[in-house]
Amino acid sequence: MLQIDNLKYTYDKTLYDFSLHVKENEIVGVTGESGSGKSTLLDLIAGFLPPLGGSIIFKNRDINKLDAEKRPLTILFQKYNTFEHLTVLKNVLLGITTSLKPKASEIIKAKEILNEVGLKEFEDKLASTLSGGQSQRVALARSLLRDKPILLLDEPFTGLDFETRIKMLNLVKKISKKRGLCTIMVTHELNDCKLIADRVYKVIDGKLVCKD
Amino acid sequence: MLSNSIWRFRLSIIPGSLISFLLLLLAFGIFYTLFLNSGFENFSSVLITSRVQGLIKFTLFQAFLSTLLSVFIGTLLAWSLAHQNSFRGRDFLIALLSSSLVLPTLIVVFGIITILGNNGWINRSLLYLFNFSFENSIYGLGGILVAHVYLNASFAARSLLHIFESIPKERYKLAKSLNFSTYRRFALIEFPAIKLSLKSISSTIFLLCFTSFAIVLTLGGSPSYNTLEVAIYEAVRLDFDIPLALKLALIQLSITMFLVFLSSNFNIGISNIKTSSNQIPWKEPKKLQFFQLIVISIFTILFILPLISIFVDGFGANFIKILSNKLFLKSLITSLVIATFSSIFTVVFALLISDARRNFNINYRVKKTKLSSFINILISFSGNIYLAIPSLILGLGFFLLSQKFQAPLLLWSLGAILCANILMSLPFALSIIYPTMQKVALRYDKLSFSLNLNGSKRWLYCEWPYLKSSVAYVFALSFCLSLGDLGVVALFGSNEITTLPWYLYQLMGSYQTKDSAGVALILLVLTLSVFIFLPKVFKNVANR
Repeated sequence: MLQIDNLKYTYDKTLYDFSLHVKENEIVGVTGESGSGKSTLLDLIAGFLPPLGGSIIFKNRDINKLDAEKRPLTILFQKYNTFEHLTVLKNVLLGITTSLKPKASEIIKAKEILNEVGLKEFEDKLASTLSGGQSQRVALARSLLRDKPILLLDEPFTGLDFETRIKMLNLVKKISKKRGLCTIMVTHELNDCKLIADRVYKVIDGKLVCKD
Repeated sequence: MLSNSIWRFRLSIIPGSLISFLLLLLAFGIFYTLFLNSGFENFSSVLITSRVQGLIKFTLFQAFLSTLLSVFIGTLLAWSLAHQNSFRGRDFLIALLSSSLVLPTLIVVFGIITILGNNGWINRSLLYLFNFSFENSIYGLGGILVAHVYLNASFAARSLLHIFESIPKERYKLAKSLNFSTYRRFALIEFPAIKLSLKSISSTIFLLCFTSFAIVLTLGGSPSYNTLEVAIYEAVRLDFDIPLALKLALIQLSITMFLVFLSSNFNIGISNIKTSSNQIPWKEPKKLQFFQLIVISIFTILFILPLISIFVDGFGANFIKILSNKLFLKSLITSLVIATFSSIFTVVFALLISDARRNFNINYRVKKTKLSSFINILISFSGNIYLAIPSLILGLGFFLLSQKFQAPLLLWSLGAILCANILMSLPFALSIIYPTMQKVALRYDKLSFSLNLNGSKRWLYCEWPYLKSSVAYVFALSFCLSLGDLGVVALFGSNEITTLPWYLYQLMGSYQTKDSAGVALILLVLTLSVFIFLPKVFKNVANR
């Protein structure tokens, strides 16, 4: 269980105070207007912003004090998830070896996951040659390879065409449920939330308000 | 697409193409004149002399070394500044880096000699404190490298800082969450982002150093540290050996033409875009933070010291004597008039050439064919002609033409200086104005078709609001570059034709230290004031 309690942050005269509990195997959607602070919530959980107070407890451990890279989570952004000058396989392998000198077993695992997200035949292609949906699949594959129990999605499928977006949302749901992840998805598309989220929150005046 | 609009676009190609054609004609005319007068039959005998081979080797060597050092130091500084976003004085330092582009080279030389010269601040301090001083002279390769690196490392740092800061923050967040080391971060995120610009910045710096004149002339010291450019000057003004000067000019022209044509599509890599104040979401380890702050501090001290020395030494000058000197006033007025005209021409030329280029680069405006691509390359090349034909060679060409057409030398000299200043500013002007014009076209073409905005209305609503700050910046940049140039005037300079840099050079040459310090200060204050305040004045007027 991921427990976020009174996680506070201030920006541009707005005080944010987020509280949210996410169970294993659960997908929580967070919506809100542009600039309402949706992405700030993810930045705070991921450790990119220092909170003014509050706690983030995961499996009885306060992860709030940990550096970003040591937190048990992985994050997907709307853009810039891949390194265009690297191949698809290398992009995925970066999830476990930043020196890009993987063991044979790691390569096999990466290939299995590429197969899982439907990109088996793309492993040797440069990331720059992929479409928007394919790039997000690569990023998703990397997240899965990292094998972290918390998955954060920061408007990951905004900008994709309708059909691709639906496919990607279903893929995330399938993988998230199969692996029992705690998933938080931030998006301004309420319909995306309705499609895959177990609960939906909206950011209003710096606070999370449950919509269900 | 409306056929009327298409025809308007096609017609708008004409003015810019015409200017490009005239610039190319000028380049060809000068090349042809030099070629005709050089005595082609003896050309190979000049090329194989050990002196000329030595000149070519040294010119290439110092340009290569200067580029290597400038790009390395500039990258290190830009990287440090990008990661140290919140120290006091950062904005001031960045403004100083921007101004290095327009600092008159003679001022930089003056400052460097004041600090590092035999009787400079460092040696005097060492002598006072430890009764010891460096015997090594600043004149020679060391001095040339210091001055080149001073000017070009700042230019590289300013250009690269903008690129470091444009790297999407998501990339850093992703890298942080993947536990990248500092090395991995640089190798996988930062280097790929700056790689392309490094190429264009390096080629620009190499060409600037290859054709560098004032620095080598004043800091070279002995003939063994001469470059082709200085050798041409000496052949004309000291040895009166015009045939040798022509042959050397032809050699230099061939090399630079080749280099510029190789990189005719490059971006010179400057912009007037403000740097971002967004913090990179990556807290550096303490040791690295310390290292970055040390890099910034050392560079700031080294950069600021020569400028401070000009202020300190300049204040000791007798300004009443300087300001009442008729030759000084004449130099000042000539410099200001030439700078004003060359800035106006530069802005107009840059706008027209950019307009022509964007038509060729947007497929629905002009269909891409082999011919249109070729014309596009020629137009790009015409904007960078100065890098191939430095002002001294241009001056030499004008000198020969003046003899052929028997027109008054004064008229030809002023024409040559004006022309050289426009050509000098044009690569910078195009690199600032063209991207904005291209962006405006892509953003507003369809909207202006649908609203039937054409001609002056389109200019007023779509172009001018986005271009005015770039135009002001280009005007100020061109004005300052013109104000500080010691190029063509070195060939034609006399009591009749004189500019501020030439007057300063004369004072330095005749060891009038106090007066030259005063004139250097005036030139520095004038340049910095124009560079800082002119865009602001322009903006206020344009907003009225």
